[in-house]
Amino acid sequence: MTVLVLFLAFLSAPPAAAAVSFNRDIRPIMSDTCFRCHGPDRSSRMAGLRLDLRDEAIKKTASGVTPIVPGKPEESAIVQRVFSTNAARVMPPKAAHKDLTDKQKTVIRQWVAEGANYEGHWAYQPVRPPEVPAIAGATISNPIDAFIQQRLQKEGLKPSPPAARRTQIRRVTFDLTGLPPTPEEVAAFLNDKSPDAYAKLVDRLLASPRYAEKQAMHWLDSVRYADTCGFHGDNLFPIWPYRDYVLRAFRDNKPFDVFTREQLAGDLIPGGGTEQKVASAYNRLNRTSAEGGIQPKEYLAKYGADRVRTTASVWLGSTMGCAECHDHKFDPFASRDFYALKAFFADVKETGLVPDRGPKAWGSQLAMPSDEQRARKDELEKKLEQARMDLAARTQAMADKRAEWEKATLAAYEAGTLAWRFQRPVAAIAQNGASLKVYNDEPIDFESYTGASLQTAKKAGNGIVIVRGPNPDNETYTVTLKPGEGSWTALGLEVVADELLPGIRVARGSDRLVVTEVEADLGGRRIQFSLASASFSGVSLEYHAMSAIDGNSQTGWGIATYGENRNLFLALRFAEKVTTDSAAQLTVRIRQDSAFRRATIGRFRLALSAGEHSWPEPEEARRGRVNGLPNNVLNALKKAADKRTAADNEALDTHFAWASGETLESQVEIARLDAELGLLDAAIPRVVVAESVSPEPTRVLPRGNWMDDSGDVVEPAIPGFLGKLPTNGPATRLDLANWLISRDNPLTPRVFVNRMWRQFFGTGLSKVLEDVGSQGELPTHPELLDWLAAGFVKDWDVKRLLRTIVTSYTYQQSSHAPPLLAARDPDNRLLARQSRYRVDAESVHDVALLAAGLLTDKFGGPSVRPYQPEGYLSALNFPKRDYSASRDGDLYRRGVYTIWQRTFLHPTMQTFDAPTREECTVNRVNSNTPLQALVLLNDPIFVEAARVLAQNAMEKGGKSLNGRIDYAFQRALNRKATAAERRTLTALYQKALSRYKAAPADARDLL
Amino acid sequence: MTNEIIRDIKRRSFLGRGAAGLGLIALNSLLKAAEPKAGDRWRGVVQPLHFPQKAKRVIFLYQAGGPSHLETFDPKPKLAEMHGKGMPESFTKGQQIAQLQGRPLVCYGPQLPFQKFGKAGMDICSLFPQIGSISDDICLVRSMWTEQINHDPAHTLMNTGAIVTGRPSMGSWLLYGLGADAEDLPGYVVLMSAGRGGQMQPIAARQWSAGFLPGKFQGVKLNSIGDPVLHIHNPKGLSAATQKDSIDAINALNRLEYGVTRDPEILTRISQYEMSFKMQSSVPGLVDVSKEPKKVLDDYGAVPGDGSFASNCLLARRLAERGVRFIQLYHRDWDHHGGVKRNVELKAEEVDCPTAALIRDLKQRGMLDDTLVIWGGEFGRTPMSQGGDGRDHHIKGFTYMLAGGGIKGGYIHGATDDLGYAAVESPVSVHDFHATMLYLLGIDHKRLTVKYQGLDARLTGISGDVVKELLV
Repeated sequence: MTVLVLFLAFLSAPPAAAAVSFNRDIRPIMSDTCFRCHGPDRSSRMAGLRLDLRDEAIKKTASGVTPIVPGKPEESAIVQRVFSTNAARVMPPKAAHKDLTDKQKTVIRQWVAEGANYEGHWAYQPVRPPEVPAIAGATISNPIDAFIQQRLQKEGLKPSPPAARRTQIRRVTFDLTGLPPTPEEVAAFLNDKSPDAYAKLVDRLLASPRYAEKQAMHWLDSVRYADTCGFHGDNLFPIWPYRDYVLRAFRDNKPFDVFTREQLAGDLIPGGGTEQKVASAYNRLNRTSAEGGIQPKEYLAKYGADRVRTTASVWLGSTMGCAECHDHKFDPFASRDFYALKAFFADVKETGLVPDRGPKAWGSQLAMPSDEQRARKDELEKKLEQARMDLAARTQAMADKRAEWEKATLAAYEAGTLAWRFQRPVAAIAQNGASLKVYNDEPIDFESYTGASLQTAKKAGNGIVIVRGPNPDNETYTVTLKPGEGSWTALGLEVVADELLPGIRVARGSDRLVVTEVEADLGGRRIQFSLASASFSGVSLEYHAMSAIDGNSQTGWGIATYGENRNLFLALRFAEKVTTDSAAQLTVRIRQDSAFRRATIGRFRLALSAGEHSWPEPEEARRGRVNGLPNNVLNALKKAADKRTAADNEALDTHFAWASGETLESQVEIARLDAELGLLDAAIPRVVVAESVSPEPTRVLPRGNWMDDSGDVVEPAIPGFLGKLPTNGPATRLDLANWLISRDNPLTPRVFVNRMWRQFFGTGLSKVLEDVGSQGELPTHPELLDWLAAGFVKDWDVKRLLRTIVTSYTYQQSSHAPPLLAARDPDNRLLARQSRYRVDAESVHDVALLAAGLLTDKFGGPSVRPYQPEGYLSALNFPKRDYSASRDGDLYRRGVYTIWQRTFLHPTMQTFDAPTREECTVNRVNSNTPLQALVLLNDPIFVEAARVLAQNAMEKGGKSLNGRIDYAFQRALNRKATAAERRTLTALYQKALSRYKAAPADARDLL
Repeated sequence: MTNEIIRDIKRRSFLGRGAAGLGLIALNSLLKAAEPKAGDRWRGVVQPLHFPQKAKRVIFLYQAGGPSHLETFDPKPKLAEMHGKGMPESFTKGQQIAQLQGRPLVCYGPQLPFQKFGKAGMDICSLFPQIGSISDDICLVRSMWTEQINHDPAHTLMNTGAIVTGRPSMGSWLLYGLGADAEDLPGYVVLMSAGRGGQMQPIAARQWSAGFLPGKFQGVKLNSIGDPVLHIHNPKGLSAATQKDSIDAINALNRLEYGVTRDPEILTRISQYEMSFKMQSSVPGLVDVSKEPKKVLDDYGAVPGDGSFASNCLLARRLAERGVRFIQLYHRDWDHHGGVKRNVELKAEEVDCPTAALIRDLKQRGMLDDTLVIWGGEFGRTPMSQGGDGRDHHIKGFTYMLAGGGIKGGYIHGATDDLGYAAVESPVSVHDFHATMLYLLGIDHKRLTVKYQGLDARLTGISGDVVKELLV
C-alpha cells in the first residue's frame, strides 16, 4: 500500500519543472499542428510564416508580426495565438481539429521564455558514440544495460529479475531463429553450468542457418520481395535466387555496407560477379504491370516512385513518398529531392508494360546454370546442330521427290485424307475417381473466350469426353475406341478449352496442363509411337510433345502459359501403320502423373489419321474446313512455284521434311534433343537483374502528374539538406549506395539498428520505424541508439550487433509485469522488464511443424506451396489459375519459403499479419482475430501438425496419458504441463475418446 | 471495451493529465475495469457520431471492369448522330487513353435503346427494365470521374481513396469508425460473384485490405467455392461437440496462462476463439440461401449454390439483416473492349433483376431507409469505338447508381457533355463520393483519421466534398 501511495505521489509531481527540450517537447507539437501550414512545404505555407527554422521564426513577417521573440513569450505571436480565446484568431485553427491542450500551450510558452532554443532534428545529427553511463552491478552485462538503467534510476524504477533459464533459451531461440528450441536443446542448456553457457548458446544460434531464415524474413518485408509481379494478372516472375542471396548474406554475416552496395548497385561494382548481379535484383522488386492498355510513361513513373519510397524507407527511415507531389510537410525533403533520388535508378533497363509471358517476359534476366547444366547444354546444342545438318542433308537428298510430294499432298488434302477423324469412344474411365462421360450426338455447351467476348455455342459433342466429379491430384484416363476398318498413321489428342476449367482454361486445376504419357493398345498389344508433335511451338518448352511418349513418368507434354491455350492438339505418329478391322478395339491411356497436382485434362477428344501425315491442329482452329495441313503450307501449295515467297518455300521445306517418312530418324533425334534441352533450360535458375543502360532524363513531375512535362530535369542527387555527392559527372546507383553507408549519412545505421531493436523488444527505441523524421518519435533512449549505431558503423557486423543486444541483461530479464509496473509503463518503453508479443506469421506456421517433427530442414531453393484452400485464387485472371500444393518435404518448409503471391498472399500468412509486400513494410502489425482461431483449429496445415504431434506423443510419450501430455508440452512449450493444465487436457482427452469410441468412423475420417 | 482503448486509457490516466488527482479507489476500479471481458465487440472510434446517421450500413454492388455508362444510364443522342465520325479533338487532346493509344478516335453511337421510367421520367437503357421500375427510389450520378485508367490502380483508388497500396479500404474505415452490430459475423464482408466471361477482372485481396489499420478491420471474403469463410468447417471426422470441447479446453489453458502473465492479449485471444466457434455455427446457415421462400429466390433470380450475382444480392440482404456494416459484392465482367452491345445484353440479364430485387426487398423490409446501396465500377467506357464494336477504359465521366440510406430517389445528379466524354456538370470525384458515403453514415471524412507515415491519413486523402444535392 505504501508503495502505491508513493507512486501516486510521484505521478502528481508538477510536469513543467525541468527545462524544455525542443526535440522532446516542442518539435512533436509543432510538427503535428504547425508545420503543415508553416513548415518546409512552400506551396502550402500560410502568411509567409515558417516555424521549422529558428532564423525564419524570429524574423518579422511581411505583415509585421514576429512569430517568436526569444525570451519574451508575451510579445511572440505564436504564444498570443495559441492562447487566444478568439475563435477566429486561435491557432491551430478550429477547422484543423488539432486543438492544443493546456499543457502543450504552457510548454510552448515556457520554451519561448527560455529562449526558444531550436535543436537540429535528432535523426539528422552525426552519429557520435555517447559516453556510457558509469553504472555497475549485477544487472549490467554490457553498455545497453547502463543506458537503460540510467533512465530507470531517473524514473525511480528497477530492472526486473532475470528470466528463468528455460525462458531465456526459448526466448533467444525464437528471436534469433524464429523457432523454439527442441526439448533436447533446452535440457542441454539447463545442464550447462558453465558461466558462458548463455554466450555459447547465442553463438550456436547465430551460426545456424535458421538464423539467416529469420533475418531474411524481415529483410524481405522491407524490400518488398515477392514471387509475383503484383498488378492485374499477378503472375510469377523469376526472383527466388535473390531471396537465396539474402539468406546467404545473413548466414555468412556479410557486412551490411557490402550488402547495401551489392543490392543497390551490384551490376555496377567493378569486377562484380554472379553474386553481385543477383543482388542487383533489389532494383527489380517493384510491382510491375502487364495489363493491356497501360500508358508506359505512367507506369515508369510508378515504378520509379516505388523504388524511391522503398529505398528511402529501408535506408533512410524517411517517408519520401509525400515528396512525389509536393515538398514534404514536416521534414526538409523537397519535391526535387524525390526526383533526384529517382534519377539514380533511371539507368535500370525497363519498359512500362513488363511482359509476363513470351520470350520478352520480365526483361533483363540472369541465368545461373550449374557447371553440369552448362556442360550438358553445350553438348545437347552441339548434337542438335549436327542433327539439323543431318536433316538438311536428307531433305536435300530427296529434292527430286519434292514436286511429286507437293502435288500428292495437295490432292490428299483436298480429298480429305489428311483430315483427323475424330473418334466416338465406346468407353472412358478414370483410374483415381474422376468421372468421364462421352458426348457424341448430344448437344453440349461450349464456352470460350475468343476475340473480345465470350463465345457460347451449343453443339453436338462429336466424341468429346468431359471430366467431372472428384478431382484427384493425378489421373489416368482410359478410353476405348472402335475405329472400324482402316489403316492408321497417327493418334491425335485434342484438349478442348472451356471457360469453367480453372487451370488456364484447359486443366482441372493448377496453372498448367501436363500429360506425362500416352499409351495405346490394340488387341492387347502395345502400339509403338515414333514421333510426337504439338499444335503450338515456342512456348512451354519443358513440356515437349516427345515427353508424352518417352516412357518417363517424370516428364510430360503440356502447356504452362496462357493466351496460346485455346484448344491444344497432340499428334502421335505410329511407328508402323496400324490396321484395324471392323471389330477392333483400340485402348488409349492418358497418364497424368505430374508433380503439379490436378494439371489434368478437363475436356478432350481422340482422333486418328490415315494420311501421310496430318498436321496437329485443333478442330475449332480450322472453323470447319478440312484440316491436317498448316495454313501457311496450304497457302504455299496453292501457289504456282514461281509465285512463292521465301517464307512460302521455307514453310514447304519444313513441312516436307516433317511429313516425309525418309527423314524420320532425324526428326525424332531433333525432337528428343529439343525435349531434353527444354527440360534442362527450365531447370536452370534465373533471376531478374538490373541492367544498366543510358538513362532517360528524369523530370520533376509537378504534383506527381506524369503527363506534365513542364518540370525541371534533375540529375541524380541525395536529398539536399543531407549534403552533396562529390562526383564528377552524373552520380550513379553505386555512388548512392556508397553514400548510404558512408559516415556522411547518419540515417542508415540509426534506422537499421532501430529496426533490429524491435525484433528483440517488440518496439523500436524510436517507435515509428518507417519514419525517423519530425512526425516520428524521439527515441526513448537516444544515447543508446547512437551508441549502438556508432558501434555498428565500425564494421557493419550484424551478428555482432545482435549478440550485443541479446547478451544484455535488459534482454534477458523477466517479462513478468507486476500491476504497478504495467500501469506505470504499459507499453514497456522504459524496459524495466522484457516484453511479451506474438511471434510472426511464418513462425506460427513453423512452430506447429517443428513441434510435430514435420519441418523440412532445407536451406534455400525455389519457393514452395504449402496447402492452401481450393478456389482461393479464383478471383484472379490473366490467366485463370488454380494452386498446386507442393509434394513431400516441400509441403513442410519454413514459412519464409512460401510462395508470395502479392494480390492473394497465402491465407494463413495473411491471417497472421504477414504483409503482401506490395509496398515496403518495416513494422508488421500484430492483430488478434477470430480468423486466426479458425486457422489454428481447422487449417489442414495445423490439423496435420496436430495429428502428427499426437501420434508422436502416443509412440514416444510412454503409455500413460500424463507422459503423452508432457511429451506434447515439451515439444510445443519446452516445459511440462502444470497440474491444472493436465486436468484440462485429461478431461478433453476422455471426452473425445468416448465420442470417438461411439463413432469410430469419425476417428478414421480424422486420421 | 477493446484492448487498444484500455491500453490507451491506462496510458493517458497514468502518464497524462488525468492522473494527478486519481484516488486509490479509483485506481483499483480502473485496473479492474481495464480487464477486457471476453466477447466484447468493437464499437468504433467515432463516438459520438459527427453527424446524424442516415445509413447504418452499405451494400456496394461493385461492377468491375468498367461498365459502359453509354449503354446503361447515360443516354447520348448526340453521340448517335456523330457515330462513325472522328471524335472532335477538343474533347480528347491531352487526355489519357488506354488501349486506344495511337489509334484513330472515332465516335461510336450508343448501341442500345433508352426509355423513360418512373415519375421523374428517368432515362435508362431499355435492357434494365427492373431497375427502371424502381427508378423513383434511385439516384443516378452521371458525373463521376476518376484518375486511374487501368483496372488495378483504378480499383485501388475506388476502394481505398489512394493509388499507393497499403491504405485501408472504405469498408475497413467504416468498421474502424463505427464498429458493427454483428456479434457472430465479420463486420465487413466481400462477395465475389461467379459468372461466365473471359474478361473476368482479377480482384486483388488488397481491395478489401485494412492497410495500416489492424488486421481485424479487413474485409472477410465469403467464398462461393469451398468453405464460405476459410476454415469455417471442421476437418472431416471432428464433430461440432468435439470442436466445442477443444475450444473450451484451449480457453481454459489460456485462462490459466492469463492468471500467470495478466497479458490482456490472452483475453482477446479467448474471446476470438469464442467468436470463431459462433461463426462456425452461424456462417454456414447464413450463406445457404436455399431456405429462402421460392418467391424470394425467383424475385432475385437466385439459384442456391450457384454463387451468381443474383444469389449474392440475396446473400447481401441476409448479411445486412444480421448487422454486417459493409457488404461489397463484386460482379467482375464489365471490361467490354469488344462486343459492347452483346456483352451489355448478357450482363443486363445478370444484374438488372437482382439489383432491383435487392432494393425492393430492402424497401419492403423497412431497411432501405438505413441501407445505402451503391452500384458502379472503377471507371466508364469511351464514347469512341475500340476495334469497331467495343469501348476502351474511360475516366473522365461515368455513372453511379445510389439508393436508400438518405439518398434522394428519382434524382439525377450531374451530367457528362453531349458525347458522354467528360463530366461537365457537377463533377463528382472518388473522394467526393467517399466523403458523401461517410457523411450518410454519420462521419465527417476530415475527422476520421489515423496517423500514418507522419500524416493524418484519411479515406479521402486531401480532398473531397460531401455532395449535398444527393441527400434527402
